[in-house]
Amino acid sequence: MTRARSKVLIIDDEEDMCWALENIMKRQGVSSRSVVCGQDALELVRKFSFGLIYLDVKLPDIEGIELAQQIRGIDRKVPIVLVSGFFYHDDVPVQTALQDKLISCFISKPFQHNEIVGSLKFARRRLN
Amino acid sequence: MSRIGESATRALSRNETKNISTMTILDAIPSSILMIDRDLRVISANRHFLESAKRTRNNTVGCDLGKVFPPVIVKNMAFESRIQSVFKENRVTRGERMVYRAPGIPLRIYYYRIIPFAQGRQVESVMLFLEDVTEQVRLSEEVRRVERHLASVVESASDIVLSMDVSGRIFTWNRAAEKISGYTSEEVRGRFFSEFCADEHGCEVVRALSGSRSGKKALMNEWDLVTTEGVSIPVSWVCSPMYDDFAQTVGIVAVGRNLAERRKLEMQLLQSQKLAALGVMAGGIAHEIRTPLAVCSSAAQFLMEDGLSPDFQKDCAEKIHVGIKRASVIIEDLLKFARPSKKSHMQQMNIVSTIDEALELVTHQARIQQIEIVKSAGEDSLIISGISGLIQQVFMNLFMNAINAMPDGGTLAVSLERVKNEILVYIADTGQGIAKENLDKIFDPFYTTSPVGKGTGLGLSVCYSIVKQHFGSIEVDSQIGEGTTLCVRLPLLF
Repeated sequence: MTRARSKVLIIDDEEDMCWALENIMKRQGVSSRSVVCGQDALELVRKFSFGLIYLDVKLPDIEGIELAQQIRGIDRKVPIVLVSGFFYHDDVPVQTALQDKLISCFISKPFQHNEIVGSLKFARRRLN
Repeated sequence: MSRIGESATRALSRNETKNISTMTILDAIPSSILMIDRDLRVISANRHFLESAKRTRNNTVGCDLGKVFPPVIVKNMAFESRIQSVFKENRVTRGERMVYRAPGIPLRIYYYRIIPFAQGRQVESVMLFLEDVTEQVRLSEEVRRVERHLASVVESASDIVLSMDVSGRIFTWNRAAEKISGYTSEEVRGRFFSEFCADEHGCEVVRALSGSRSGKKALMNEWDLVTTEGVSIPVSWVCSPMYDDFAQTVGIVAVGRNLAERRKLEMQLLQSQKLAALGVMAGGIAHEIRTPLAVCSSAAQFLMEDGLSPDFQKDCAEKIHVGIKRASVIIEDLLKFARPSKKSHMQQMNIVSTIDEALELVTHQARIQQIEIVKSAGEDSLIISGISGLIQQVFMNLFMNAINAMPDGGTLAVSLERVKNEILVYIADTGQGIAKENLDKIFDPFYTTSPVGKGTGLGLSVCYSIVKQHFGSIEVDSQIGEGTTLCVRLPLLF
């Protein structure tokens, strides 16, 4: 695995969503990459080590939570933040994922920018 | 013996033979026969009479008629005057009925005639001929009773029961038919049944009648009956041929059930079904709206910050604009679908655009379940006669069924094909499939494989009913583990 400069990985099939998250990261001085499907995400996670992953729940080729588990299979420690327009905080799958420490936190769409910025604290390495 | 003696003996024996023969014949006849002279005395009585009346020759022959029959009878039947007029006029009487009661004998009914025996112009004697018709009368009364009962059955039925000859002219028209149509049975007798059916359903009627005429098995069909006031009433008909004893078709029976009530119920069902479907789709649709809202929210939050490049600001504004439009479209589709169907008459409609709209509505749900929708491009305008709201609901229902059969993802393929004057819409999924033994049950009301609380099982039966209303049909083909393909056929206008 390439120990490249830590980045944030954004996984969302909605391009404008990636645009928004990327710009929030940019304004925080954090570099980021976006992919629109699970397949591409897994490829990148295999190749690189990311500081934090923002993960959408409804992707065209796979369920977000299942993708999170597959990512765990490859990188046991990378923090995952679930960002979803489908679930709410008290939905069972979300609670379970939090309890199992599969995800570090959950943010529902639409969100406040400071929520996203706040979640950066879960990043495992210094992000630049 | 002398020659004269011999011939006399021969003549005598010939006479005796003749007399014996006549008496034998009279005694063999199973009706009562009395010969009566001008003085109303019994000349002879046959065995049947004697046995029936429990009399002997001795106390009958030579007696007054009044002594042989009970006086009550003689008086009431006016035997004497009748017999006398026969003697005078030399004419056979009309047949009359007589009820004979005697102690120790059960009631009997007779039919009698008085027949003159004339020699030259003088009536020498009359014959009183009595036929015991007790059994026939009883049987005919029995028959009348059964007929009345059968007629009552037909008249009491709340369904329309009518019969016609092979050319379609009305024979009988029951009370229910009178009530529903407003026409009395006198008004309709002899007229063609098709005169009272809606013009636009003419082909259906012709088809059903000719089918019955050629002895085809009774089929169910729907066409409207038109009342005296010109109102069309939807009726479900079953026509069957009537056969005579030689297996020839002599007529057609049509039994009709008023569908107006059922249609009203179906409308209510449709609306509650719609709302139920909306409930199921709500999750998917909410997600679809939240995404553009999230983009708008972020764009707005950016705009509120300082130090933005003009290009970036423009980007943000655009994203808000687009996002709101997207959310509006989704809401609009939803509202259009949720509204009760206003149109209730068949009109020209483009089935391609209706299917596209239905597909649009289920896209959101499909996306969530990782289902790929494949629609083969074809003609973009195919006109049928129908109620677009209902047709849209049918397809939405069929699409949702397909989607529900693929909980772990798959492909929903929709294709349209024009074959002669029909359009065939194929809906194929790669889901769990339907077992062969269940294939013909799927259109039954309340048949469902969904878990309790998830599906009511009313969807497909309502779809089937709507498609039938539009003179189409639904066929299904399925393989367990591979998927199901539904084919909806509808007649094309052009």
